[in-house]
Amino acid sequence: MAAASPSRPEIISLFRSLLRTSRQFSDYNIREYSKRRTIDGFRLNKQLTDPSAVAAAFADGKSQLELAKRQVLVYSLYAPKVKSIMELNH
Amino acid sequence: MAAKLITTALRRTALRRTASLKPINLRPFSTAAATIPDPYDDPSSLTVKGVKISGRPLYLDMQATSPVDPRVLDAMLPFYLSRYGNPHSRTHLYGWESDEAVEIARGQVAQLINASPKEIVFTSGATESNNISVKGTLHFYKEKKKHVITTQTEHKCVLDSCRHLQQEGFDVTYLPVKSDGLVDVGKLRDAIRPDTGLVSVMAVNNEIGVIQPMEEIGAVCKEFKIPFHTDAAQALGKIDVDVDKWNVSLMSLSGHKIYGPKGIGALYMRRRPRIRVEPQMNGGGQERGIRSGTVPTPLVVGMGAACELARKEMEYDEKRISMLQERMLNGIRAKLDGVVVNGSEERRYVGNLNLSFAYVEGESLLMGLKEVAVSSGSACTSASLEPSYVLRALGVDEDMAHTSIRFGIGRFTTEEEIDRAVELTVKQVEKLREMSPLYEMVKEGIDIKSIQWAQH
Repeated sequence: MAAASPSRPEIISLFRSLLRTSRQFSDYNIREYSKRRTIDGFRLNKQLTDPSAVAAAFADGKSQLELAKRQVLVYSLYAPKVKSIMELNH
Repeated sequence: MAAKLITTALRRTALRRTASLKPINLRPFSTAAATIPDPYDDPSSLTVKGVKISGRPLYLDMQATSPVDPRVLDAMLPFYLSRYGNPHSRTHLYGWESDEAVEIARGQVAQLINASPKEIVFTSGATESNNISVKGTLHFYKEKKKHVITTQTEHKCVLDSCRHLQQEGFDVTYLPVKSDGLVDVGKLRDAIRPDTGLVSVMAVNNEIGVIQPMEEIGAVCKEFKIPFHTDAAQALGKIDVDVDKWNVSLMSLSGHKIYGPKGIGALYMRRRPRIRVEPQMNGGGQERGIRSGTVPTPLVVGMGAACELARKEMEYDEKRISMLQERMLNGIRAKLDGVVVNGSEERRYVGNLNLSFAYVEGESLLMGLKEVAVSSGSACTSASLEPSYVLRALGVDEDMAHTSIRFGIGRFTTEEEIDRAVELTVKQVEKLREMSPLYEMVKEGIDIKSIQWAQH
């Protein structure tokens, strides 16, 4: 199902799904990185105008979403019992 | 469509259920009765080596190793689960797909350093690559070439290989470094002899993070037609590494410093002009005879994925890590005086910050920083209490060398972690200085170096 050019609601939906998935990571550092990289990634690509570049970035984003969903599962299976110091209050 | 809904629902319940499952026993195969309480059993705190901490420390030791990026892990897992073939098996699908993956990874590594895939040999790590480069080259050319030039701040494996060569009868020149950690290219030029077989200078130092003048050294080596080897384990994926611009003949690369798996590295060997080495691992002739042994497909795929990620993320990471380093340095300097940055401040990799705190004892500083995972300048290479040889080569005083701390900032470090580390370090240093009689004397204006200590 090749997307000719993703529409704005599709892009926003992808962004929201990526953020939602990122929030589920059990590891503090990976979780923060995922959220930050998603926001920065979409912000950097906002200026893209060439439709093939936009479609390529969208496809890349979709594959990253699939990857993130798999890795959230894997990380949760092996999450250490003791959390990172940063997640406990001072 | 219905199938998709069902699988999503199943996966969600699996996630919920596994989150509430009893924690997996991490040692299911131990047959001995557990008489020592497992330090990981108690979920509220962690007691290891007699120290109790409430959570896993924040990790600021990126030069020792780096966490595996989830995108790298995702690339590696299929090769542990279903695609487990030996890449050298020529007769079935398992071998063919494994070989294809290895060749793709080879291309990914080569692209990061602007080399051809045919010039990359996979090894077990940068240490092995360094051994092959130093000992292998000299052994191959031992009829005509008897001399090696290296620096005093090299990694232990290079220095040890050189010492081994010395015992075999070769000559080695250990070039001194300036007080900022950089090599004097003039001194290098003077040290070159007609029978010099190799010049080995590491690109980015693992302890102090200084970036050596690679292009100038490469130009000198090209002029005298001497093979140039560099240990780029810390430089790969962090600064712009180009084998043509640097004119290197041999380059050691490491997987686990660039968010890849441990146990894998690579060696770049130039084809034009061809550099030849004597292999250190003999066997079935894999990796063009340079390094025999089955190529570990999952690790190689991981290293390739890590290199490709590094190529895409280098600019973003560098900007961010540079911002974090400034934040840390300014945060510490704002609250403390007597803080010295070891190594050149201009020519350094931004993710490595090696600081010495005056009038503070090193071991007690580290003991107080139990919630931050950092390394001291000395512990990296030896188990003895001697201060690091790298800091000694820089001419740092013994007492300052003992109090050095190396902060390693990486892709996954957050601003909150930096702020927390600054807060903890400042608190600990202030506490120690308050107890220190030497600091009291300094505050009164007495020059410590002029004191004649009386003997009882």
